[in-house]
Formats: sequence, C-alpha cells, structure tokens
Amino acid sequence: MNLFNIPSNELLQHLINGLTLGAIYSLIALGYTMVYGILKFINFAHGEILMIGTYAGYYLFNILCNPADGGIRVMLAFILSMIFAMFVSAFFGVTIERIAYRPLRKAPRLAPLLSAIGVSIILMNLAALFFGTKSKKFDYPFNNSTIMIGGASITPNQIMILIVGLILMISLKLFIDKSRLGKAMRATSQNQSVASLMGINVNFIISLTFAIGSALAAVAGILIAMEFKVYPTIGQMAGLKAFIAAVVGGIGNISGAMLGGIVLGLLETFGVVILGIPQGLKDTIAFSVLIIILLVKPSGILIKNIKEKV
Amino acid sequence: MKKLMVFLFSLMLLFTIGCGKEGEMIKSGDTVKIAFMGPMTGDAANYGKLMSQAVKIAVDEFNATGGVNGFKVQLIIEDDEGKVEKGDPAIEKLAGVDKVFGLVGAVFSSVSLQVAPKAEAAKIVMISPSSTHKDLPSKGAFIFRDVMSDALQAVVFGKYLATVEKIKNVAILYVKNEYSQGLAKDFKTQFEKEGGKVIAEETALQGDKDFKTQLTKIKGTNPEALYIPNYVAEIAQILEQAKQLGLKVKIYSADGFSNPQIFDLAGDLANGVIFTQAAQQPASKTRTDFEAKYQSRWSDKPDAFSLNAYDGARIILNAIKAVAQKSGDSLLINRDKMREIVAKTKDFDGASGKITFATDRDLISNIGIYTVEKKKYKQIKMFQLDGEKLIEIK
Repeated sequence: MNLFNIPSNELLQHLINGLTLGAIYSLIALGYTMVYGILKFINFAHGEILMIGTYAGYYLFNILCNPADGGIRVMLAFILSMIFAMFVSAFFGVTIERIAYRPLRKAPRLAPLLSAIGVSIILMNLAALFFGTKSKKFDYPFNNSTIMIGGASITPNQIMILIVGLILMISLKLFIDKSRLGKAMRATSQNQSVASLMGINVNFIISLTFAIGSALAAVAGILIAMEFKVYPTIGQMAGLKAFIAAVVGGIGNISGAMLGGIVLGLLETFGVVILGIPQGLKDTIAFSVLIIILLVKPSGILIKNIKEKV
Repeated sequence: MKKLMVFLFSLMLLFTIGCGKEGEMIKSGDTVKIAFMGPMTGDAANYGKLMSQAVKIAVDEFNATGGVNGFKVQLIIEDDEGKVEKGDPAIEKLAGVDKVFGLVGAVFSSVSLQVAPKAEAAKIVMISPSSTHKDLPSKGAFIFRDVMSDALQAVVFGKYLATVEKIKNVAILYVKNEYSQGLAKDFKTQFEKEGGKVIAEETALQGDKDFKTQLTKIKGTNPEALYIPNYVAEIAQILEQAKQLGLKVKIYSADGFSNPQIFDLAGDLANGVIFTQAAQQPASKTRTDFEAKYQSRWSDKPDAFSLNAYDGARIILNAIKAVAQKSGDSLLINRDKMREIVAKTKDFDGASGKITFATDRDLISNIGIYTVEKKKYKQIKMFQLDGEKLIEIK
C-alpha cells in the first residue's frame, strides 16, 4: 500500500495503461503541432487522415497475408502495410492541403478552419459509405500474449507503441533540429516571406510538413487500430484528444506535443483512479485540462523553445 | 337560457356516449381496421418494412378465409420514423379517424411507451412485436407484447448464477445506455437478493474503446466472475483487454452477445462466454410455412421481430373474430371483450413459438442459457420463471 491506498502492482498497471495511451496521443499531436507551427491553423481533418491511412494499411495487410498464419511473412506484410499506410496518408494530407487549404492561405483565419471541418466530415462519411460502419479487427502481426512485470501486465503491442512512439518522436526532433530541410521548416514557421527571399520553396516546405505529419498519423492509426479496431470515426475522439495534448504542450512546439500527450494519457487514467472522477466523465478530464491550460497558461506547459516552432 | 345550455350539454354528453358505441359498430360495406405502427422511413426503416410485411401476410390470410362474418379487415400502416414525437399524431389518427381495434407496434420502446396510454384510453389492443423495455405492459390493460422483456433475462440470470452456478461475487462492467444499464441494475438486484455480492460496478460510455482502467480496478477486487451485458462492439474490447490485463475470470453476458459479429471481432476469446437469450423454440410447421410465404411474396427473409409481428396480428384478428356479432346489417365488436380474449392467449401456435401472456400482459418466455464452443452458439440449459421460482425445463 502507498500514498493513494492502492496496491502497488495495480498502480504500476495504471501507469502502463496511461503511458501507452499517452504515447498514442503524442504521435497524433505531432501532426497538429507541426501544421500549426507553420500555418498558424489547426488541421481538424488530421484525425480523418489518420483513419484513411489505417484503412489502407488494414486492407493491404489482409491482402498480403493471412494474419492467422503468423511467422516472418506476416511480420514483413505488416511492415509493408505500415509503409503503404504512411504513403497513403501523406498523399491525402498533401492533396487536402493543396485543394482545401492553399487557396485560403490569404483568407481570414476562420476560413481554412471551416474548410478543415468540412473536409473532416466529408472523409468520415465517405469512409462510412465505402468501408461500412462496423468495426474491423486489425490482427496483431505477432503473438500478443501478455508479459508480466512486477505484478502488472504489458503486451508486446503496448511495448511496441512506446518504442515506435519514442523512435519517431526523436527522429522527428533530430530532423527538424539538424537537417537542412528542418532548418528550412523552422525558417518558414518564423516568417514565410523572408524564408522565400532566402531561396526556400515555401509551398514545398508546407507540403512536406503535411506529408510528415500525416505519415506519423498513419503509424499512430495502425497502433490504435490493433488495440481498438478500425472504424470510420476512429480519428474523431483520438484527434480531439491529440489536439488537446498539442495545446497542453504549447501548440506549435514539437517537444511540447510529446510531453502533452503523455501528460494527458496519465491524467485521464489517474484522474479516474486517484481523484475518483466517475468513469463516465473520463473525457471531461481532457476537456477540463484544455480549458484550464487556455485560461492559466495559453502558451502551454513548455515555453522555453519558442524559437524552434515548426 | 341557462336551462337551454344544460339541455344542449346533456345532448352533447349523450352524443359522446353514443360515439363510444359507434366506435365498436361497423356499418355494412365498411371494413374492420387494424394498424401497424413503426419506422417506415429514416434510419430504422428496415425494421418497419420487414414487420409490416409480416402483418400484411396475416391480414391477407385472414381475409382469404372469409374475414369476420363477411366483413373484410383493412390494414392501416402508420409511419412513426422511430421517433417519439411522430408517434403522437399517428396514434391520434388511428384512435380518432380510423378507429382501429388492434395495433401491432410500435417498434421502438421509446415510441411504444409514448403511445401506450393513448391506445389504452381508446381501448385499442396493442401488441408490440419488438419493444423490450420492461415497463411497457404496465402502461395499461390493453397493452401487450410478444417479445421477451429485458428484465426477464436479467432476473433469470441473477437467480441462475447465485443458485445453479453458485457464484458468490461478481463484478459488473456496463455501458451507459438503456439496454445495458437496465440489465445491470435488474441483475444486481436479483443476484443480491439471492445472497450473491456485486463487488465492483464499473461503467463506460457508449462508443468507448478503452476499458483498461475499469478492468484494472475490477481485477483489484478479485471477483469470481465478470458480467458484461453490452453490445458486441464493447464486449469484444472488454474480452481482449481483460485477457491482456490477465483478468482470468468467468465471463457472463446477455442477448447482446448473440450477434455473430462477435466472432470477427473477438475471435477465440468468445469461446466459453455464457449468456442469456430467449430459448430456442422447436421448429414448427407454422414457422416454416410463414417463412416460405414471406420469402416468395417479398423475396426477403423475415427477422425474429417479423415472426412476432405476424403472431401479434393473428392474435388480434382471432380475437376480433371471436367477439364480433352481427346486429342487423352492421357488425358489433366489443372492445373490452376483445381485450379479455387476447389476455387469455395461451399456447398460441405462433411462428415465433408457443405464445402465452402472463397476467401482467407480458410474454411468458423461456430463457436459454447459452455458451460458445469453437465459435458457435450452443444452448446448454433452459429455464422458466414461475413467480419467484426458477424451473429448469429439460
């Protein structure tokens, strides 16, 4: 027993649950934050881009192999499907930006926002039409039996979520901080016209931002789908939560988005367990956090690296 | 002047009383009307379509055998779109304009609960083929249903777990909708009455996918069994996450589990789950005949509710025939007597099985205890509730 009067193995279990949930939020939040950093606009269709990628991965995976067979073939098919899903999502992200946002870049800020909401509704309903509204099971490419650690259980997929999340977040950070393209991105986010005077192709950089954010969303989508199934509205709640995570971490700030996701995942889990908030109000926690952050610290919990906005 | 008014009012009063009689009198050349009410347009239109087609068959069969003393029966179909606010005008029309004698419907519990008091006031025998909300038959003496009540399976299961399986404590995890909440509540009351203990009661919202927090808490209370009276989308998630968290307990559920989609979503995890559902009825000739007729006329397969709708219509029609009396050229159908005949329905040979109404106008139904073996449903036991006693039927 401890401070909260909860057995320690149960507490550890909640910690694992919260961390994996948070890692997923972080991955999706990166897409929001990157786009906001450059365009100062929130891409509300991000959740639907995630959904499209997930379906793409789901269908390719089931065409390439029979997941029940197991073995190396299935694992290879899974990796291929994951890459395919990233490309499909990136393609959709870039196309949507080209069609629905770019013509509105000089318009008042409300216009692209409404356009994004429109795209989101269209994509969700098209998916319901073509893929059906029933949930589909995304099989694990590996044996997902539970591993016990100190009285708490963790599954290989949860470990994968944590590792993949960490790798992608770190590589993105390195890409933006160290590479030439990353530098161009940072320049674009600070001042588009000056950046273009320095010979940076601003349109290309914006497309690239959408492509990377969308590809990350596809990865998150598949990781979620294995845990929670594939369905047309999969991007909705996850997208909304990730948006909150991005705001909590300071929207436009890459490290902040990572931290915000983890913080939100933990808050949701422990809010129920320790503060005794009724389960039915679980989603309220996230939205309350959003309101509090906006009231108290609208720049987010991480403020130091304002300059490296992307 | 005052006297004149009194006289006029008395006359009007007399007239209204006369009207009551008129509502039971069919003039020569007119038809005897019964109605079906359900969603014919909108999201749930398919339910209404399938059921109304079944009622049409019942009415046509009845007319083909001569109707009532030479009078034909006419079916009025009212569209309620599955919405409470559309049910009101529909029942007003049926009661005031069409003066129907019987009503098959409504389809959704919410609409049935809304129209029942009006059917009762107009003395229309109402038999719902699909509204499972436990309060429906208590809305009036004219209100019946030939579908199993939600409350029944929860009560039977509560008794079954405590007295037959001898389970001492369970945890419940239910989603906050009418169906799951109702079952969980009724089950808990019954199970605790039998001496069992509900040691954890966790809830979730419709559409939730992550139940790990609840399941981790449940695991901490160390229950013998877990009761999850939800729909398959949630059940599949719960089964998988319970396994991930190493929660190794017996899993129990309700008829929401009987949707075969569970095998796609949960795979082998569905094996061994025990749940309740209306007991399997032995295949009868009435049923195969009806299904063949339905198939050839509508090129469609009737669902379980259509069987109920067909039976309900036939019970109403038979009652009309039993009480109808010729008086001169007209036909007199006493609504109160008709209701009594319907209430006495016992072992009626219906397409859905043998139908008997309890004194509370609810369907007496046998409850089957089912399990899943190798991704197939299998009935393992059958029970009947007789007052407070649980009787196994072999």
